[in-house]
Amino acid sequence: MNDIGEFTLMVALATSLYGTVAYIMAARGNRIDIYLSADKIPLITWACVMISSIALWKAFFTNDFSLQYVYAYSNIELDYFYKFSSFWGGQKGSLLFWALILTSYMIVVHFQNRSKNLIVVPYAMAVMLAITCFFLFLLNFSTNPFERIPLPPEDGRGLNPLLQNYWMVIHPPTLYLGYVGFTVPFAFAMAALISKNLDDSWIRLTRKWAVVSWFFLCMGNLFGASWAYVELGWGGYWAWDPVENAAFMPLIVATAYLHSVMIQEKKDMMKVWNMSLILLTFVMTIFGTFITRSGLIQSVHTFDEATLGYYFLGLLFFIIFVCTALIISRLPLLKSKNELDSFLSREAGFLFNNLLLLGIAFATFWGTIFPIISEAIRGVKITVGPPFYNQVNVPIGLALLALIGIGPIIAWRRATWSNLKKNFLKPLVFAIVGGAILFPILPLSNRSEVYTYITFVLCFFVLSSMLIEFYKGTIARRTSSDSVVGALSSLIWNNKRRYGGYTVHIGVVMIYAGIAASSSYGIHTEKRLKIGETIEIRDYMLRYEKLAAIQATSVKTRIIAQLAVEKDGKRIWTARPEKEFYKGQNQPVSEVDVRSTLASDLYVILADFSEDESATIKVYHNPMVKWLWTGGWVIALGTMVCAWPDRLEQRRRLERLKRQQIVFSPAQE
Amino acid sequence: MKIHFKRIISFLFMVLFFAIASSSLANAGAILSDLENQLMCKCDDKCGKVLINCTCSTAEKNRKKFTKMLESGLTVDQIVRQQVEKYGETILSAPSKKGFNLTAWVIPFGAIMIGGVGLRRLLNGWVGKDTKTEPQNSIEPQLGSKKSSEMSSSKYSRRLKDELDQLET
Repeated sequence: MNDIGEFTLMVALATSLYGTVAYIMAARGNRIDIYLSADKIPLITWACVMISSIALWKAFFTNDFSLQYVYAYSNIELDYFYKFSSFWGGQKGSLLFWALILTSYMIVVHFQNRSKNLIVVPYAMAVMLAITCFFLFLLNFSTNPFERIPLPPEDGRGLNPLLQNYWMVIHPPTLYLGYVGFTVPFAFAMAALISKNLDDSWIRLTRKWAVVSWFFLCMGNLFGASWAYVELGWGGYWAWDPVENAAFMPLIVATAYLHSVMIQEKKDMMKVWNMSLILLTFVMTIFGTFITRSGLIQSVHTFDEATLGYYFLGLLFFIIFVCTALIISRLPLLKSKNELDSFLSREAGFLFNNLLLLGIAFATFWGTIFPIISEAIRGVKITVGPPFYNQVNVPIGLALLALIGIGPIIAWRRATWSNLKKNFLKPLVFAIVGGAILFPILPLSNRSEVYTYITFVLCFFVLSSMLIEFYKGTIARRTSSDSVVGALSSLIWNNKRRYGGYTVHIGVVMIYAGIAASSSYGIHTEKRLKIGETIEIRDYMLRYEKLAAIQATSVKTRIIAQLAVEKDGKRIWTARPEKEFYKGQNQPVSEVDVRSTLASDLYVILADFSEDESATIKVYHNPMVKWLWTGGWVIALGTMVCAWPDRLEQRRRLERLKRQQIVFSPAQE
Repeated sequence: MKIHFKRIISFLFMVLFFAIASSSLANAGAILSDLENQLMCKCDDKCGKVLINCTCSTAEKNRKKFTKMLESGLTVDQIVRQQVEKYGETILSAPSKKGFNLTAWVIPFGAIMIGGVGLRRLLNGWVGKDTKTEPQNSIEPQLGSKKSSEMSSSKYSRRLKDELDQLET
């Protein structure tokens, strides 16, 4: 099976190379015969990559340690669940996984569009196949997952214990689905540039791809945060690590793109800007991959054998050069009639939203590469950690939060003062009332707490502006025979993009609130306890009951502490934090125990223990962390509404264009 | 009762300004946490984590050491300086705000300011272009301007404009 896997990888490279050339020749020479032959390539390439992937999975499940990759990332005792995820646990497998997702996306694009736009689609397929070629080239010639060990060992080294967590089974695939997903809009943007077909058709063809990829990237980041929270045992979820930044930057740039693209769809403006944003999003995904695989920047996330930096750097420069050259050469065609009715308009709001989003992306990028710049210029190695990102990004993020509230209630084209008064008054009153209620409750003793207070006030403003929009729409739709739920459902169903977007914003507000509360009002305490002794935090009292050792497998020993958690004299929960010791690993792994409610998390860590059964227990009280994860699910709901197929969309678009033509044409007056 | 919209906004901005200004005078919070936030973990595994986020044995040892140093009367700044002398700037979790490192802090905000000014100029051009090139198409009367109000289009196009404003999809 390993031979078949290796062979199919080679076939996949050959077919994708042929496909790239054939699609370009078919499009340039208008050759239907070549087009028909290239038409089979996406399916063949996908099938080959799929066979390779199955071969690698089989090697993991059958403990085939003759493969160097399986030996490095698995062992006999490893749970089947983690044997499945070991596939992407290392560099070689993760690249194969990337190729698998990319080719899977490619066949979906192929079947979706094969009879739609015969000018743009062949070029888009060629771009996607060319990117597939790059990954297959690395897999075949630089980092082959089917590399053999001449004398196979009896057992493998095993998967890094930190990766043996259910979030690590979900987080990397979700992130990859997002990363790779942006290849589709990128490919179509490139195809539009190459074919000079620069109307908004490429945007319409890939709008849902962009939304869904954005969603996966967003959830990938959140799942990563969840993993860090429950696995790393330091009470937090985001450390502004370079690799976290690498996943965060494309998300932010893509968010800017999703907003600004609405202006192009509505007013046919900002073509160059939108083109640049989608290209930048893709460049950022490659930059992220470069960071993880180059070993250039120190990070907990980098792969052990980070040796592919030069390849990805080459790809990065190649893409930037080609994209810039293409945009410059197509500038006359990308010229649009840039007109705005007023500064006070939603269009202007979107532009400022773009400015702030790109500001955050740039600040994060700058912080990520500053150590390299410092070393190159001064010869001094420095570190850029969370204090930098928090101080720089928090004020920008707050301005962005305000814009999230302002955007939906400011009118398109031109807002008048009377208009602003009408739409802003109620949300402002809610914000002031909310702020006044919180003022005596929340402590404001340092900068972080003041920022949190401002965040809450802005959250009130944004949330009320969103809910008022839902309320107004529902009331307007409600007839005497219609119930409120019916009117609300009909409102959302008939305006999926608008109200799905608002739902996403509500999720974002929840995330803001969760981050603000947990980073300012979290407290922790630590105490060495003997059996029967207690530790207190806020209203909770934790009584240390016992310490147990369990030999879970031949390579894993679990040391579990049991603590009774009491509140107001009643036992409400039993905490069982543990330390896991793996054979051959220097450091034990902390498995925290968390009692999570919407109000707060009680986060218990077994920091240390000794033979006399005394243990050092660390307890965190983190307020509102659950709001982050709940916000993520609200975002998922909103994205689902946005991306839901809409048969009426095309008809409504045509009607809108017709109406706009009537308004803007003087002859119709 | 007449509500003064501009006054409410001005009031809100004043509240925000004073809140932020007062925060800089406030105390820095827990001392050990502050110190742990300023320093990186220096373990053999090169974990690359800020000390407060690290749970390795080296981090635990350092925490105990720093607690003793703080108890002996040393300030956070003194301990940080001592650590920088021992390990170099790489021990700091964020660049210092002096010399070349200042650029790390200034450039992101500078870029946003420049972007903001550029955007403002761009918008100036775009907004102006609309009224300069096609004055006959201006369908919204300028508030307080009698002249532009006279240039407004018919009641039908105004109605259509209102409907378009409602149309979001």
